[in-house]
Amino acid sequence: MSDEKKVEAPKPVGPPPGPPPPKNPGMVTLTIDGKEVVAKPGTNMIEAAKAVGVDIPYYCYHPRLTIAANCRMCMVESSAAPPGKLVPACQTGISEGVVIKTDTEKVRAQQKMVMEFLLLNHPVDCSICDQAGECKLQDYYMRYDFEASRLEGGKVLKNKRKKLNDLVVLDQERCIICTRCVRFMEEVAKAPQLGIFGRGSHEVVDISPAYGKLDSNYSGNIVDICPVGALLNTDFRFRARAWFLSAAPSICTGCSRGCSTYADFMGQDTYRWRPRENEAINKSWMCDVGRLTYKGLNKHRVLHSGLGRGAEVKDISQAKALELAVEKLKAQSGKVAFMASPVASNEDLLAGLAFARDVLKVKTVYASGRPAGQGDHFLLTGDKNPNRKGLENIARGFGLELAPFETLTKAMDAGQVTALFGLGAEVPEADEVFAARAQKLELFVVTATNESKVTEAAHLVLAAAVHVEDEGSFTQEAGITQRVRRAYPPKGDAQPHWKWAVDLARGLGLEMKATSSREVFKQLSAAVPELATFEWDKKAPLNQKRPGIGTLSAAADGRPPGWREQGVPNLRGLTLPPGT
Amino acid sequence: MSSLMHHEPEKKRELVEADVRERTYVPEILKGIALTTRHFLRNLFGERDTNPDVVERKGITSITTVNYPEEKVDYPPGYRGLHRLVPREDGKPRCVACYMCATICPAQCIYIEAGEYGGEDDQAESRVIEKYPKQFVIDELRCVVCGLCVDACPKDAIRMDTYTHTPSGYDRQGFVYDIPRLLQGPAVSHPSDPWYKRGSSAPPDHVHKEAHTRIAAGGGLAKRPPLVEVMKFPKP
Repeated sequence: MSDEKKVEAPKPVGPPPGPPPPKNPGMVTLTIDGKEVVAKPGTNMIEAAKAVGVDIPYYCYHPRLTIAANCRMCMVESSAAPPGKLVPACQTGISEGVVIKTDTEKVRAQQKMVMEFLLLNHPVDCSICDQAGECKLQDYYMRYDFEASRLEGGKVLKNKRKKLNDLVVLDQERCIICTRCVRFMEEVAKAPQLGIFGRGSHEVVDISPAYGKLDSNYSGNIVDICPVGALLNTDFRFRARAWFLSAAPSICTGCSRGCSTYADFMGQDTYRWRPRENEAINKSWMCDVGRLTYKGLNKHRVLHSGLGRGAEVKDISQAKALELAVEKLKAQSGKVAFMASPVASNEDLLAGLAFARDVLKVKTVYASGRPAGQGDHFLLTGDKNPNRKGLENIARGFGLELAPFETLTKAMDAGQVTALFGLGAEVPEADEVFAARAQKLELFVVTATNESKVTEAAHLVLAAAVHVEDEGSFTQEAGITQRVRRAYPPKGDAQPHWKWAVDLARGLGLEMKATSSREVFKQLSAAVPELATFEWDKKAPLNQKRPGIGTLSAAADGRPPGWREQGVPNLRGLTLPPGT
Repeated sequence: MSSLMHHEPEKKRELVEADVRERTYVPEILKGIALTTRHFLRNLFGERDTNPDVVERKGITSITTVNYPEEKVDYPPGYRGLHRLVPREDGKPRCVACYMCATICPAQCIYIEAGEYGGEDDQAESRVIEKYPKQFVIDELRCVVCGLCVDACPKDAIRMDTYTHTPSGYDRQGFVYDIPRLLQGPAVSHPSDPWYKRGSSAPPDHVHKEAHTRIAAGGGLAKRPPLVEVMKFPKP
């Protein structure tokens, strides 16, 4: 900055006198509520105020969308404004020496008037509204308004339940016409299907008549950016109150993009993904397909290790499973092939591949994983495995050959592979097809998170934890490694893949010292150049507001999560109806 | 200090010497016996009023003991008794599963699961409220009878006006109350209830009119609201 001092122009010789030279060259210096702010030119007042901890309220403004300045909530006093007038802080650029006041009598009166106006026809049905607890109307009403309605007569009645598509439902009465959703669909999703129809109080958000329903893979984002409860996610709707949920920073494992998310959880169940800000990968967005991948974390999980195939399977304990697995692998010593699924985290693969190389003594690792699917123009990729890059890196670092899945199936059909250990039960072909192939194996042991035809075909299934149940890291398609945080302990009798690998190695005579995924990474990542430089501890996003205190709140207003994050209430044996 | 200086001097108390009458105790003993006898006769022959409001009791006798459980007193007005879920006119609970009671409950004894009425469901009052409780369970053994759930309810859907306490039982399971056991008592409705404002969650056909003209025309009301009256729960 100091290098640019000589840029200062010489004093103008004649009239008119130009503006004073900037206090900080290249930057704009202004005063907000008595605090001096140095900001880049082009910053708007809201962002400049945020930098010094001044909150300017807003509804329609969104950092990643164009400015509409239609909610009029962010009006502030500025020394550069015409006398007696307020300026919208979202739309007005900053200039040198401007004095902005956000907490004057006039601004407060304006905020109160806007709130009264926005709430005029709002149904105030917070008791059945899922946004309650993370609603900006609620928060700003308490902070800036706190007055009873003066409306006489009835409120304007609109459609309370309009299904925009299978994922999004619209309540036109709750809408404050901020047009965030309209702008998002046009600018980010590139599917301009929403619009504002009608006039005055009867204005509504609706789908353009040309479209029957909202047709986009990014429609779920308009639920996130809706500042009120007008747009709601039918998948999450009515399932939990926002203030009962806690949040853990995680990623979506639906495809190789690896969008940063928050896993909102209660007890040992994840309730939804919320996209987490990540400039490099997903900005503030995620796709509808990924949004529903949280279901695999809750449903059809392998909760207990299982012995036996098909209908003969019986649940066994973790210790018994380990004992049996060691026994069976010992019997097939030297003949066991190893397949690894790129759905597992880096730590799982590090421990798993070390186990394969040093204990099973394999030279080749077969890459399993989910079959490829459709990608799209924005975030969704065709490769449905979140950690393929990680698997490739680790295999290369460990000096193992990573063979495609077809090689394995060919070898199985030719009878060259008679015993198989699988880290992860996802396979890139139809589950039934692979299950039929696996029937011929003399030994098939697999660590699995979810039940499938493949786990049915295994002689021994070892219950494994999913990625939100342990600390870990993933490397997405562009080579960016991201840390995920643990939300809750593994469900049932499951333990992470890396723990199975470490325990099996110990049972088979190799002492691996790791007792946590952190230790696995510290001990084994040195061999992998891409991971050796990754700062495992420093790159971990915070999962607590302050160290040692609770979990992150899932509600947007940041109030602490309720007591229920520790588990569901004991119903004393009361049987719930099926399907609940 | 100055305030202490101006303090008034203590008044001297004079000792009164007891006279002969007091020193013999005889009249005092007779007085005491008379009082006891009066109460004895009053309680033996007098009528007894068991009004729960002690100040309002009219009977002659001063006995307040009740031979429970053969005799039972009525609980006073405002008594926080066993919970009930208040039914609507159509027999379903007024509750919309907003979780306010479960949130405020200091004993964490309320468990709720919310469900959604289908859009095509046009039965009675359900047509305008999408949300309802699939499960509403109160563990009465955990309940501390504080009444906060009643205060927190925005829909007047849970009340403690049954004027009975939780009956005793032999197993803990019997104290877990679900919807069939909680949903009892007279139906309640308020003029502000949403089904008086509209026919369904779809926009009404008069939507193009301004709000004041709609009210004047009277077309906006699906049904005329009943007069507000405080429903009293019949005493057992």
